Amino acid sequence: MTNASQPLIRLGAGLEIGYGRPLARSEREISLGGGTHFLLARNGRGKTTLLRTLAKTLKKVAGDYQAEGYTQYLPEDLRFDPEISSKAIFSAMLPKEKLQDALALAKNIELDTSKLYGRLSTGNRRKASLIMAEFSIRPNQGNILLLDEPFSGLDAYARQAFEELWRKNDSQVLRLVSCHPDYDSMPMPSAVLIDQGKITHSTEEGQTWSTLKALLN
Amino acid sequence: MRLFHLTLTTIFRRKTWAICVLAVMILPFVLPKISMASERPSILQPARIQAAWATVWACSLFWGLFTAARQGELNSKSGIGEYFLTTGVSSTRQLLEIWCAVMAFVAPLAVFGTGVCLAFAMPADPTERSMWWVLNLQYLTLFLLAIAPLMGLTIALASRFGGISGFAATLGLAVYGLYGVGYLDNMLKLEENPILQSIWLFSPQYRWADITQRLYFKLGVIPAPMFWKTVLYFSGILAVYAGISRLCFRTKTLA
Repeated sequence: MTNASQPLIRLGAGLEIGYGRPLARSEREISLGGGTHFLLARNGRGKTTLLRTLAKTLKKVAGDYQAEGYTQYLPEDLRFDPEISSKAIFSAMLPKEKLQDALALAKNIELDTSKLYGRLSTGNRRKASLIMAEFSIRPNQGNILLLDEPFSGLDAYARQAFEELWRKNDSQVLRLVSCHPDYDSMPMPSAVLIDQGKITHSTEEGQTWSTLKALLN
Repeated sequence: MRLFHLTLTTIFRRKTWAICVLAVMILPFVLPKISMASERPSILQPARIQAAWATVWACSLFWGLFTAARQGELNSKSGIGEYFLTTGVSSTRQLLEIWCAVMAFVAPLAVFGTGVCLAFAMPADPTERSMWWVLNLQYLTLFLLAIAPLMGLTIALASRFGGISGFAATLGLAVYGLYGVGYLDNMLKLEENPILQSIWLFSPQYRWADITQRLYFKLGVIPAPMFWKTVLYFSGILAVYAGISRLCFRTKTLA
């Protein structure tokens, strides 16, 4: 029995994902709990497909999976109306009690919240989406954040700020983060890999991007 | 209601609604001054009524439908619809929330138009005054019943086929329902044609919601049985459009 405040993703053995035809398959059951899990694969191997399947916006090809928790899927190309500011987006989307914290984080990572969304750089648009999702997390219940390439265009300082934020609510939030890391020493204690049509889970102690990328063909 | 708030904020921040509000507030006073009504004070009030409702119709059909189309397209193409879908906001609810936000700007235009007719074109005769109130409220009801389903349909069509298609299709449908069916009716009176008759039968008779001429000539209230029959007719259209809109509405561009 699962605790409602603990998020969970379980990919059953034999789960097949894809658009009509199977693109990747999990050979063994994979269970993910609260914390950050990186989703790694080369381009076109099924990272977004897996995220969309787990978000229930894409039908699985075969097999079973389970996703327990308040789910948010942040597509890579999510964008808001170009004529509104990030502050207006946060005011409309976030609970009032979280708005000040969201604006404080935005200020900390140098996101100009008064600037029109359409005039923001790619990285800054990404910051706005991430802040919106992070501060939409529901307290007192399990949350699942499916983040598709959240770091693309983000500067190192902003990335670090988000990683610190993630550490604060690790047990209550399950983050599955697809990314292409840009430095070898990036620690990845839990990584879901998609390679040669197989979905696997690696949790080797001390594993980094450097060790994991050797597994991806 | 996060999508409702986001859509409301988006439309509000674009500020184009202000042009419509100003048009509805100012044109009923300016247009009669530059028409022949300026030389004949007796037709000043009817001219004001005509200007007020013509502006409300024009703003609703052009700005309202355009805004609805833009929001429908934005929701499906920007990833916002997909994001909300994953948070548990169903397609039906998304359509409803966007529609509510659009209507929050369109409905007040009709209320302003009605306000202008009530405040600045009220008949002097006390017995006609109560009739004037009823007739204006009847007009407001029919207008909202006619325009509301069109907004929903525009959002849905734009989410599936793109903003331009959604806007053009519903604008065409509205213009046809307002003017085209009248011409078709006249043609059928001159010569019977079963095909045209069938088309006419299934055409939305939006002209029944445009009772400007009734206000203009002060023809009195619509008799209750006829009014309720018309309300029922537009409620039927609302039900049909709601079904079509739900079937057409998409929250994301890819399957």
